[in-house]
Amino acid sequence: METDVVVIGGGPAGLAAAAIASQQQVDVTIFERARELGGILPQCIHNGFGNFIFNKMLTGPEYAQHYIDLVKKLKIHIKTDTTVLKITKDKQIIATNSKDGLFKIKTKSIILAMGCRERTRSQILLPGSRPAGIYTAGTTQRLINVDGIMLGSKIVILGSGDVGLIMARRFILEGAEVKGVFEILPHPGGLTRNIVQCLEDFDIPLNLCHTITEIHGKKRVTGVTVAEIDRSTFNPKKGTEFFIPCDTLVIAVGLIPENELSKQVNISMGPNTGGPVVDNNMQTSEAGVFACGNVVHVHDLVDDVTISSELAGKAAAEYVKNQIKEGALKSIHPGKNVFYVVPQHIRCDLKSSVTLYFRVKNIMKNAEIKLTEKNYIVAQKKERIVKPPEIVKIDILPEEANKIKQSVEVSVEGELF
Amino acid sequence: MKDSKIKRELIKSFKKHRLENISIKLNEKIVFLEGTIDSYEKYIIAGHLAGRNSIIRGVVNNISYPEKKKTQKKKGKDEFIGSADVVIVGGGITGCSIARELSKYKLKIVIIEKDEDVSCGATKANNAMVHSGIGEEPGTLKQKLCVQGHFLFEKLSKQLSVPYRQCGMLIVITKDSLEDLKLPSFLSNFLAKYVIPYIILRRGKKIKVPLEKISRMKILEIEPQLTDRTILGISSPTYGVTSPYEFCIALAENAVENGVDIRLNTEVVGIELEENRIRNVITTEGKIRTGWVINAAGVNADEIAEVAKDRFYTIHPRKGSTLLFDKSNAGYISHNLSFFQFPMKEHTKGGGAMVTTHGNIQWGPTAIEIPDKDDLSVSKDEIYDIFEKYSRLLPNFSKKSIIAYFAGIRSATFTEDFIIEASKKIKGLIHVAGIQSPGIAASPAIAMMVADILKNEGLTLTDNPKFEPLRKNHLIIRELDFEKRKKIIEKNPLYGRIVCRCEEVTEGEIVDAIHSNIPAKSLDAIKRRTRAGMGRCQAGFCLPRVAKILSRETGKPIEKIMKNSKESQLFIGKSKCLLEETDGD
Repeated sequence: METDVVVIGGGPAGLAAAAIASQQQVDVTIFERARELGGILPQCIHNGFGNFIFNKMLTGPEYAQHYIDLVKKLKIHIKTDTTVLKITKDKQIIATNSKDGLFKIKTKSIILAMGCRERTRSQILLPGSRPAGIYTAGTTQRLINVDGIMLGSKIVILGSGDVGLIMARRFILEGAEVKGVFEILPHPGGLTRNIVQCLEDFDIPLNLCHTITEIHGKKRVTGVTVAEIDRSTFNPKKGTEFFIPCDTLVIAVGLIPENELSKQVNISMGPNTGGPVVDNNMQTSEAGVFACGNVVHVHDLVDDVTISSELAGKAAAEYVKNQIKEGALKSIHPGKNVFYVVPQHIRCDLKSSVTLYFRVKNIMKNAEIKLTEKNYIVAQKKERIVKPPEIVKIDILPEEANKIKQSVEVSVEGELF
Repeated sequence: MKDSKIKRELIKSFKKHRLENISIKLNEKIVFLEGTIDSYEKYIIAGHLAGRNSIIRGVVNNISYPEKKKTQKKKGKDEFIGSADVVIVGGGITGCSIARELSKYKLKIVIIEKDEDVSCGATKANNAMVHSGIGEEPGTLKQKLCVQGHFLFEKLSKQLSVPYRQCGMLIVITKDSLEDLKLPSFLSNFLAKYVIPYIILRRGKKIKVPLEKISRMKILEIEPQLTDRTILGISSPTYGVTSPYEFCIALAENAVENGVDIRLNTEVVGIELEENRIRNVITTEGKIRTGWVINAAGVNADEIAEVAKDRFYTIHPRKGSTLLFDKSNAGYISHNLSFFQFPMKEHTKGGGAMVTTHGNIQWGPTAIEIPDKDDLSVSKDEIYDIFEKYSRLLPNFSKKSIIAYFAGIRSATFTEDFIIEASKKIKGLIHVAGIQSPGIAASPAIAMMVADILKNEGLTLTDNPKFEPLRKNHLIIRELDFEKRKKIIEKNPLYGRIVCRCEEVTEGEIVDAIHSNIPAKSLDAIKRRTRAGMGRCQAGFCLPRVAKILSRETGKPIEKIMKNSKESQLFIGKSKCLLEETDGD
């Protein structure tokens, strides 16, 4: 078997990339390990998707359906219920499913769009026993919304990431009691709109600077011990511990880009993104291998995933047709108060502007964002407020980018909140 | 030495340790302690003092301490559910090894296991090491059986098709090894370079276990990630690593193939005697007529001895917690590494940084005396203690790659050695108690020793001509080469569908586990057999899928699917089930 572009992952990133690539008249094959396309979106039955792209508030399944319909209209080979096992250095892919069995496919270009997975209780070293009733937020979301299975009746949520906040509301709507959301940091991890719509509107208490110090229960969770956190040491304060009886603990402590397959092709990984280093075409350090969506870094909004994945899809098709421009590679580094920036490289000469996505380290008011090369300011922008959970963007125009000699740094200055 | 003399010495040493108001009784080298004490720590000290003299056969520690809980006895059923030549109490590695060994003879054997699967106690939660015996106290039974047993592991693993890696062990002596002695550096350097290696090598010679001194240069060459503070190492090349739950399940499956019966979810609550001879075993499911009982009940062995009216030891649970790191670390180290420390912590070899048979790395375990026999919690202190301890060996290891931690309970007695013997009081009762580390390595030798004891006690052992030492093939799809894998999927498409993506486990393998000769009835039982849920996402992805397959294959509704034992319910019902309840109010 042969194809031009293999897209690994049929979530929002893979779908958008596949659609655009196919529209450039190349042969595209999507591999999706789940039985349905759409990735995580089909389980996100709340609305709030598509504000930028469609100018409306869609639900996750609606947003996904738009791209599923698009992909199905195009001549794209879709292999669902299919797991990619291996990518070889010469772009051969080994995959398995129950219909075609084990097979190999040779491709000219690969788009990595595997998304991300959830951090578990072990990764945050949560002490205690290991009973039934501990779930990551995404798993609870799938169980309730897709599988129609209810997990418990008295819920404690650790972490205030978006999925955790949305699940807090979901549990209330399902008739469960949500004892509270506990966040170790002094600020919530999710988007402000979710704090308001999911917690405040449902009177669910948000406890900042708190964490769980022990999980109780031998067979099923019977409760958790919670304690206040010392803001300087991040250790629990002695004497502040209290017990909360519950039967379910939901862990919503962040996502990790899923790059086990990417590592097989030996591409360079970014230090703070957890994903591959990419250029403005979303091309990785390996020619012909592109990456998009949450594989590259964890996005807040699916709209941004779609936008960057379309770049990857277009570039992958151009690569197949040998049309990709190999301009000089210039690098972009995170500077003061910036945790990471994507893309990490841009190739000149640009014909259109490039959006840089970056995450700040601290909450800041009246923030001044600067893109500088030594003392020279390439671009700048002001934001009323910047927060770590909300990605910040800055556009560079082609004429600005072309002035970059070697590398630029993105930095943010402002009043600490 | 006479009992009265031992007693006098004990009274003296109890006084010295300010253990007051404790009555000490001695009878045929068995110490009985009674009284009340103000902490669990002192309860442990008292027990160990009583068991320190190697002449002591056992310590029954009945001292009460503040947090002591009374165990509620379960009720047995009166009707007969069968008969057997030999009843083995406990389906851990000890019980299953014995069952498999005895299945070589024409015997009707039953294993009684209180949990929902075999291998549920210490067997499933230890650091998987197959010790060579070099770390054991010289002259102990556990050392003897460990040395014998570990030499049998490779062959046995092949017969049972269980992974085994004879990776060897490096005992690493570093500049930190003797820091607690607070000696001048020239002296501690001399000890580390010459005296300690000499003592260890001599120990090895005595028990005929090969050992080799490895220079700093060579050890850093074979384990380049080791700390720069390394002085030298001692290699024990016959050390290995197994997958203990898989090994135990394989023993049990092979035993079943050879005619052994296993009763899960069945607890022994009593033993009926007739003129000091075993007559019937009473369980929560009914009575079993038998003449022979092998007490391999792990942490509960003292309770089984009690109901058999021959309790001469108390088990004091000692928890060991282990940290498990992601497979992406495969190859980071290639040997088990143990950090030599002197003075040694009492009653533990100190664990190590270990490879596993599946490519993960493990650090641990800890050793903590706890009053509760089923407290499997891992504390923050334990996690950080392990981090600190082994960071001294592997300073650059990424602790962020941790994927799980777990605890197991060692069934230690106060004499801290294995107790494997026929009861001196009850004919037909065999004690196999106090099997803590190196119980895995020793298990093949324990089983052979038990067979000998039975023979000496008068049980006729006639060879079973139908005995088949090879376990029936079980498929591991990810290990097949391309063509074989392709063919097998053509035969059964379920082998083509991946359910657990981290460990590459197919639906076909999960279905196989559910319908195997010891059917996997819970999520954890499937996990132990297939590895589904053992990877980096810790079942986040496959849990709903595996639960649904289990529900489909067994016909049980989803809310009846358990994580492991009864009452470890994963789900409460269909979504909206809570709203239906309130509607009815």
